Amino acid sequence: MEITRRQFVVGCSTAIAAMAGGRLGGLAFAEPGDIQRDIMVVVFLRGGCDGLGIVSPLDDANFQAARNTITFPNTGTGAGLELGQMGSVPFWLHPKAAAFKELFDSQDLAFIHASGLTNGTRSHFDAMDFMERGTPDNKSTSTGWLTRHMAATSPDGVVPIMSTGSALPASLLGSPNAVTISNVQRYAMQGYGTYGAQQQAALNEIYTKTGSMLDAPATRLLSSIAAVKARNPANPYVPITTYPAGGLSDSLKAIAQMIKLDVGLQVATLDFGGWDTHESQVPILGNQLDVLTRSLHAFYNDLVDYHSKLTIVVMSEFGRRLKANRSAGTDHGHGNLAMVLGGNVNGGRIFGRWPGLANVDLDHGVDLAITTDYRTILSEIVVRRLRNNRLGLVFPQISQYQPLGLVRGTDMAIDWSSGFRSYLPMARR
Amino acid sequence: MSLSRRQLLLGAAVGATGAVVHEDVDAAPLQPSATEAMAKPPFEVIALSRMAYGALSGDYARVRTMGLTAYVDEQLNPNFAADTDCNTRIANAKLRIVYAAGTGFPAVDEMRGLDTLNKTQPELWELRVHPSNTERIRPVDEVVAANWIRAIYSKWQLFEIMTDFWHNHFNVWAYSDTRISALWPHYDKTVIRANCFGNFRDFLESVATSPAMLYYLDNSTSRDGPANENFARELFELHTFGSQNYLNNIYDNWQEVPRDNQGRPIGYIDQDVYEAARAFTGWTVADGVGGIPNTGVFHYVDTWNDNAQKIVLANFLNANAGPQVHGKAVLDLVAKHPATIRNICTKLCRRLVSDNPPKSLVDKAVAVWTANYDAPDQIKKTIRAILLAPEFLATWGGKIRRPNEVVAAYLRSTGAEVKPTAELFSWITICGYRMFNWATPTGHPDESGYWSSSNALLNTWNLLFHLQQAYFPPATFDLQGQMPSSVTTVRQIVDYWVMRMLGYQPSALVKTKLLNLMGQAGNLDAVPVGSANDVKLRLSSLVHMIGMLPEFYTR
Repeated sequence: MEITRRQFVVGCSTAIAAMAGGRLGGLAFAEPGDIQRDIMVVVFLRGGCDGLGIVSPLDDANFQAARNTITFPNTGTGAGLELGQMGSVPFWLHPKAAAFKELFDSQDLAFIHASGLTNGTRSHFDAMDFMERGTPDNKSTSTGWLTRHMAATSPDGVVPIMSTGSALPASLLGSPNAVTISNVQRYAMQGYGTYGAQQQAALNEIYTKTGSMLDAPATRLLSSIAAVKARNPANPYVPITTYPAGGLSDSLKAIAQMIKLDVGLQVATLDFGGWDTHESQVPILGNQLDVLTRSLHAFYNDLVDYHSKLTIVVMSEFGRRLKANRSAGTDHGHGNLAMVLGGNVNGGRIFGRWPGLANVDLDHGVDLAITTDYRTILSEIVVRRLRNNRLGLVFPQISQYQPLGLVRGTDMAIDWSSGFRSYLPMARR
Repeated sequence: MSLSRRQLLLGAAVGATGAVVHEDVDAAPLQPSATEAMAKPPFEVIALSRMAYGALSGDYARVRTMGLTAYVDEQLNPNFAADTDCNTRIANAKLRIVYAAGTGFPAVDEMRGLDTLNKTQPELWELRVHPSNTERIRPVDEVVAANWIRAIYSKWQLFEIMTDFWHNHFNVWAYSDTRISALWPHYDKTVIRANCFGNFRDFLESVATSPAMLYYLDNSTSRDGPANENFARELFELHTFGSQNYLNNIYDNWQEVPRDNQGRPIGYIDQDVYEAARAFTGWTVADGVGGIPNTGVFHYVDTWNDNAQKIVLANFLNANAGPQVHGKAVLDLVAKHPATIRNICTKLCRRLVSDNPPKSLVDKAVAVWTANYDAPDQIKKTIRAILLAPEFLATWGGKIRRPNEVVAAYLRSTGAEVKPTAELFSWITICGYRMFNWATPTGHPDESGYWSSSNALLNTWNLLFHLQQAYFPPATFDLQGQMPSSVTTVRQIVDYWVMRMLGYQPSALVKTKLLNLMGQAGNLDAVPVGSANDVKLRLSSLVHMIGMLPEFYTR
């Protein structure tokens, strides 16, 4: 039977599951039905992606005046892809993001426009810090928002949180159980047979007692290595889809493999940089979008059997200036685009309220305004999909729960208490 | 603030380690620290772990004999011509270059010297248009190789530590653009190294006018209407004030920014960035486009410059002031601002002492920096003040080595013979240290939390294993051959490598584990049991194990 691409995107194809089972026979493998909790994957686009140039109001006269040198057309060669309207304003998707058009049309992908961090910072590093700690205006918070979310859910898996970068993002600051795994096959210690095992056992003991700042991280490393090893990961991992080449795909494959290994993964984070398009935006943004959308498309289909438990959030620290600069680029701006992908997403829509691009509608007269706080988006996923009602702990500075209807799921009585100390015996920094 | 467990434990251990520790294994007795917690080491270990990439054989004894002050003054006054061994190694180094044939160029696969290090700027500039991309980025690889050789073999270790610091402070992603990669030896030598111990205001202008930074932060294309803000933003946020002094809530109301007692705004706002960006319009590179020279040096294009009035940090810069005057005025304003001085001094203390340096130490650095604002050796004097302050030796345990530091210290302290190769560079990258390949202008983080990730620890530990293997080209080890003939028993072998690599005795627990690993079930006061090959594997495992200890990681 020929499987159409469309079915592949949305369907829970038993044929594909069977094929995968055959190929990976003999390995410990999570049956999708075994996974109790939803899994959230957070993709952070570092550098401030130009949401205005990805989902664009091409008909808007202000947009045309400010962007005519760097935008895509709505007809002809390289035309944008029609997404429909947000309010009464029609939007087009960047043509290099065609892989996302398919997910949007299959109603697995939703956009949230004019969203972001309401704090007005135009600094990458402050904005990321504020967002990831989950406390805008305060970057001395000692824990990240995902750390607090996980603390409230009492994870029981052996590897409940992973990040694929060289190091943990600020959203996992102070986490007692987050690990970084960029390559599952290589997640093992090198040594000479018995002597290697002796080293590992000795380090396990030493690092519980030295009082060094490495005690907790080394202990976490050693226990997660043992957990992964016990599940005998495929070497190399064989996905059921073809990912484009590149680092982003490698990270996504590591996450897909860990999901399938049944180690109790609940949250995974990964970074994709290169969005700081101050100069030569047209080729750079096009290439970034091509890689991002094709990689995520492959990842989503690789996890076709997990769609009902999977929510992927794509966010960035801020959007970019409406008016292009003389380097054919855009400088740091404010409001931006967020994306949510998953089997329980009310996709095919652009959520939020469009503030307009007339001078009076812009933030400080120059940048897209924000009408949806990024925490509104995350709160809805935390409650409806991750079944955590402790928003007072996760986002201590908000006091209202206002779901946009982004994802399906029932609401819960919100616990607005904070006091995360009791949940985090190892709060650091 | 409550004391962390670590601080409490160290506090308890400090008093217990007054004993003089001898590097000579024949000198008895060697007393491990009584507790299972890390002990505070003697001063020469503190100095060599912070001012150097660890100790070569004999370094601990030498520094202990000469004393801290003499060692600091030696290191602050490098005589590069006298660094014979290191210079010879760089001159004789060969780094493989390999690429397939392409349009207009043949295939190459050869061992080539670090030839670009001595090329002139015009020669380097020509490389950017070489048809082979491998040739265009070759200069970066050669600087990476030279810097590894210096990290391991240079006598002027503190200079190398500070070179690394400034490369991160003024971070440029060398591989991001072939115009940058071609000129990279120039940036390393005439911008970073030339100013490493010099004057900060001079340093800042050297960076601001360097083609590497002009390309990296896009100022090379910035012109009036609207300006490109990338460089101006990071000038405030990263090169000078620091984001802790960014008052973003004030945005454009410069009159509302609180003033200090000398009438200066206490921080910067977005409008300062926008205005500064206008000041730097026209600061570009002579790239031959549009009638300007094609030399690859800094070039000012007056017709690109926005010459109207600006307000930067509540200072009015009058219109039509003349070429580059506004840009230089901005550099003066940001360099001299007290917020900048405190930010840079804090960063210096964080690099040289601990993640959270004592305020009293930062205050001392600020005082020296400020008093020597115009001095040509302002940075050197400030570093000296930090290293000779009582706080330098009073703190321990507040910082770990980064992967590159772990690896360099491992190679130095084991007497390995090192030839930098692509395998070493790519492994260090996997560990998280991307020399000249860090994409964002922040440079590598300097706080231990970042470097404690499972990825960084695991890959670094595994790299220490690979380095000893015959299949891994960058290093050759001869552990057995380095041990004096008097070192024969398990206990002597363990003590010998403990003192070579750590310079002091670890906790009793650690010591027991090391003895068990080397001795297995045999008598610890006899030669190790097992076949020669078995003993060799255990010796290799012992050294690998010491490299993974908290004592080895702490700096």
